[in-house]
Amino acid sequence: MLAASLFLFALTLGLKDNPLVPIGPGYYPRIVLGVTAVLAFALVITDVLHPQAAQAAEGLNYLLVVQTFVVFGLYVGALPFIGFRISTFLYVAATNALLDRPRGGKGWARVVLVAALTTVIVYYVFERYLTVLMPRGRWTNF
Amino acid sequence: MFELLGAGLVGMLHVKYLVPLFIGSLIGVVGGALPGITITMTVIVVLPFTFGLEPLQGLACMIGVYVGGETGGLITSCLLGIPGKPSAVATTFDGFPMARKGEPGRALWIGIWASIFGGLLGAVVLVAATGPLADLALRFGPWEYFALFILALSMVAGLVESSLVKGLVSGALGCVITILGNDPVMGQPRLTLGIEWLEGGVPFLPVLIGVFAFAQIMSELERFSDQGHAVNVAVNLAVSQVKVLGEVLTRPFVLLWSTFIGLLIGVLPAIGGSAANMLAYDQAKKFSRHPEKFGTGVPEGIIASEASNNANVAGSLVTIMAFGIPGDAVTAVMLGALTIHGIQSGPLFISQNATLAYGMFAAYILAHPIVLILLFLGVRWVLRIVIVPKSILFPVVLVLCVVGAYALGNSMATVYVLLFSGVFGYGMVKFGFPLAPFILGVILGDQIEINLVRSLMTDSNLWLFVTRPISALLLALSLGSIVLSVWQHRRMQKKSAGPSGDADF
Repeated sequence: MLAASLFLFALTLGLKDNPLVPIGPGYYPRIVLGVTAVLAFALVITDVLHPQAAQAAEGLNYLLVVQTFVVFGLYVGALPFIGFRISTFLYVAATNALLDRPRGGKGWARVVLVAALTTVIVYYVFERYLTVLMPRGRWTNF
Repeated sequence: MFELLGAGLVGMLHVKYLVPLFIGSLIGVVGGALPGITITMTVIVVLPFTFGLEPLQGLACMIGVYVGGETGGLITSCLLGIPGKPSAVATTFDGFPMARKGEPGRALWIGIWASIFGGLLGAVVLVAATGPLADLALRFGPWEYFALFILALSMVAGLVESSLVKGLVSGALGCVITILGNDPVMGQPRLTLGIEWLEGGVPFLPVLIGVFAFAQIMSELERFSDQGHAVNVAVNLAVSQVKVLGEVLTRPFVLLWSTFIGLLIGVLPAIGGSAANMLAYDQAKKFSRHPEKFGTGVPEGIIASEASNNANVAGSLVTIMAFGIPGDAVTAVMLGALTIHGIQSGPLFISQNATLAYGMFAAYILAHPIVLILLFLGVRWVLRIVIVPKSILFPVVLVLCVVGAYALGNSMATVYVLLFSGVFGYGMVKFGFPLAPFILGVILGDQIEINLVRSLMTDSNLWLFVTRPISALLLALSLGSIVLSVWQHRRMQKKSAGPSGDADF
């Protein structure tokens, strides 16, 4: 955070002032980034002076969090290529299966049904009734 | 004022407004009752559905969600002992023990009536105070606005329990988001980092949606268990409404004082009902002749919590309508909805959009009887919905977040902002940074800059910030809130663990 604010602060030094206004476009960003850098530095000092023991993360399922983020990232990445309908179906199915592992044919039927219903309802409500044009896929044109 | 309010109420009874208000209230009750789904998340889910509606239709729907959510949260608090939302935590302290003692209907309906009265008493203040406060704010120059926004940010940052520095860093980071892209006064490009779509700046709604939705869903997933809650939908909720009403109305002090606390907390920016219900409960206990009975199922505990969290809604609406400062995350989403429709919130909002403003008051007032009717008819149905597995709810909510972000500009850029904000928001929570100051920084950052530039364009003398009385007072209060916060942190540190305490100060 400290490094990022200092980096951005350095970038503001290259901004040219506008003769029409008394302060240039870099004036306020320099204040904000300067304050952020000072506060970030204060945080570092506080952590050094009062080191806090790492909190025990026992029982927390970080793997599931990472998996959910990855699946969501893939969904967002896939949207422009395969379009809203296919990617949403796959995303809901994948996340539902991830959070509640399907067992047997009934379980998989539930996954497919939830994904299909979500996709169809969301698509029709937004695209047909609220005229929100959902993303089409570059590869699928669908 | 009364003429406009009357017209607003009559207008709101029109089907085209009543239907969104009704649907919003229903969704709010269900969302509020679902443990793990906050009102913020519910209103985020509803947001994209309002894009195609008229501004008042959309806002009526969101107000319905807000009021319904605050009331709906007490259902699971009383009957399951699991708060449906953070602002109903204190309701569990006495609501659940009362239900366990064999009086679930009494616990539930004391809470519902207290919510309704708290909310409607809050409506009186909402209608009476918003106009005069907006008039006061109209006298502000850019110096005063600048000072007001700084006060809002410093107050929120200072209210963070764990660390003042983290609160301040969080607020500063929110402001950093607003300096990316063209400067808001002259439109000169700055800090775009070579990213083309960043030239227009970072839109705050996808940031808000991403930060809140992911922070909450991912935090839930850390402890995820799809076992569901054991719900006994056959529980007997029969109760004499006259008797319950009497129980609420014969405790006017608790009702009024808790309503006042809720309003006050609501007016303060970005604090929210979670603080209001705990504070009101604590106050009710302190003023009680039998504080030892609190926690065993006394009506005062339920009344205090529920009256305060519904009054908190009115307080939040006052702040956003009079000053353009969101009282909490839900009103921040509403602010975004107004922006989408090209409506500027702030002191001019009421005078320039009187029909819309009084329509919002009317929606707030009418949402209460609608919620009451919904709960009369369908508490049992709400209990059934609570058992919907989160493995289904979470992906659906995230899909709606994507739709909401995408629909803002029909562009994938806002979806990328959503994803980035989600990761960032979850990271902030994990590292102990509070989200409220960050969001307030994102919302107010532009306004702080615009008013700073305007003031310096009017007069380059920086001393004016401290020589103009209102501006000086607001800046002094801002400094005072930080000093007070430092003092509180030091006191807490001394009390708790000595030199190796958790607080930063």
